Amino acid sequence: MADPNAPILDVRDIDIWYGTQHAVDSVSFSIARGETFGLLGPNGAGKTSTLSAIEGLLQPQGGTVRIAGHDIHEDPAHAKANMGVQLQSTSFHSDLTVREIIALYAGLYGLPTPPGMVDGLLRDIQLEDARKKRFGQLSGGQQQRVSLVIATIHNPELVLLDEPTTGLDPQSRRQLWDRIERIKESGRAILLTTHSMEEAEAVCDRIAIIDHGKIIATDTPQGLIDAHASDPRVQKASRGSRITLEDVFIGLTGSELRG
Amino acid sequence: MNTIELATPSRLSTFRALFKADMRVQWRNRRASLMTILVPVIVLISWSGIVAQMGGPFAMSSCITIGLMAVGLMAYANSTARAREKGIFQRLRVTPAGTFEIMASRIVVQLIQMLLMAVVLFIAAYVIDHVALSVGGYVLGALFSVLSGAVFLALGLAVVGLVRNAETVNSISRFVYIALVIVGAIGELGVLGTLAEKIVLWSPYGSVKVLLLAAMQPSAWDMSATYALLASLAYCVVFAFIGIKWFKWTEE
Repeated sequence: MADPNAPILDVRDIDIWYGTQHAVDSVSFSIARGETFGLLGPNGAGKTSTLSAIEGLLQPQGGTVRIAGHDIHEDPAHAKANMGVQLQSTSFHSDLTVREIIALYAGLYGLPTPPGMVDGLLRDIQLEDARKKRFGQLSGGQQQRVSLVIATIHNPELVLLDEPTTGLDPQSRRQLWDRIERIKESGRAILLTTHSMEEAEAVCDRIAIIDHGKIIATDTPQGLIDAHASDPRVQKASRGSRITLEDVFIGLTGSELRG
Repeated sequence: MNTIELATPSRLSTFRALFKADMRVQWRNRRASLMTILVPVIVLISWSGIVAQMGGPFAMSSCITIGLMAVGLMAYANSTARAREKGIFQRLRVTPAGTFEIMASRIVVQLIQMLLMAVVLFIAAYVIDHVALSVGGYVLGALFSVLSGAVFLALGLAVVGLVRNAETVNSISRFVYIALVIVGAIGELGVLGTLAEKIVLWSPYGSVKVLLLAAMQPSAWDMSATYALLASLAYCVVFAFIGIKWFKWTEE
């Protein structure tokens, strides 16, 4: 019997090197069932490498990644069956229609696709009329809705969302936040990367800030603000009377441009 | 830590889903596929003199070899490079689908296209040049077209393995294709001298062509056909090894 308190994602001491560059340095964190965890960091901080290691796209030189108890490298099929991924760039077959893409990914997770099943999913995201369109013909917001449906089509224990609202208008962004909230309410764990501090505050239960390959702070959004409000670097970064999560982020990671 | 058992799809079911999608993509690109199939037919029509001089199976084996190279080098290499450039493989790799299934379904689709091309050429040769093979010749010709196609699919994979950029893959595969076709087709006729003829004979073009020629005339199978079979297998293994060893799933 599975322990309901066991973390759904358990990242332990992962190390990633690119030649002599230590891109990820002993990064560890875990995410519990029903928790939304944000991984924030400037460009080149090690976010994407960490995420790639969790997704099984990259083999770290050290450490382990376990998803629902399955090691991503020793038991990738089980680990990936328990994980749904929305990648930063939505890369689906451009020659297939939306309906066909959803049917393909349902098949990859071994799900039957009885008549009407895909149309039902599209109806849920108000895209029933788009079922015969090619993915590239959809707007950015519509593409993200389809991507999210595909990421959650098999009811995974863990959902990875890599900058899901980048380039979306405020309406689409709010709608996506609502969907993320519903995924969380269904008891799934979510790992989210974003450059939007507003988004992190709105949807994340806990946040880790990563910089130069190391996690430099982990807490709830308010916990991070409270813990670092008196830090001179954070106060220097502040542009108003109230310390915000963005002030904490810039204070801890520096204000110089990256990447 | 305890494990949670969410149903893991079988390799067969993931392969089936990928194959269905890859077949659909091939169907959507049917105009390009049709052109690839028509190239050897057009060559056959233009070679009516060679059919009369060297015999139907000789011309047909050359035409099929040219067609197989077009599928392996041009169609397969370029579509794989483009899929990699678009990030399609990365998206598939975060699902339970294994890398073997991802690649195998694409290869099977190309092998089907090669089989179709061989059948169309058999029909064209019969209709245009009244060339009829024995039943064994048709069966073995079709079978060895698929087996020989693997040589050029492996060569295409080697190109995609060694070259990351999709545009460069396109240029190199075209160059290799044209070089193999021109040198092979002219060289096999002895126009470029005996040394060139021997080199062509042992090239991927030559060994596949000799193999197909023997397959279409099973009663005339000899040691040169066996050597051609061994050479084709060796090319297939070497190219596949290079392609698999150096293949990267992303352009970066």
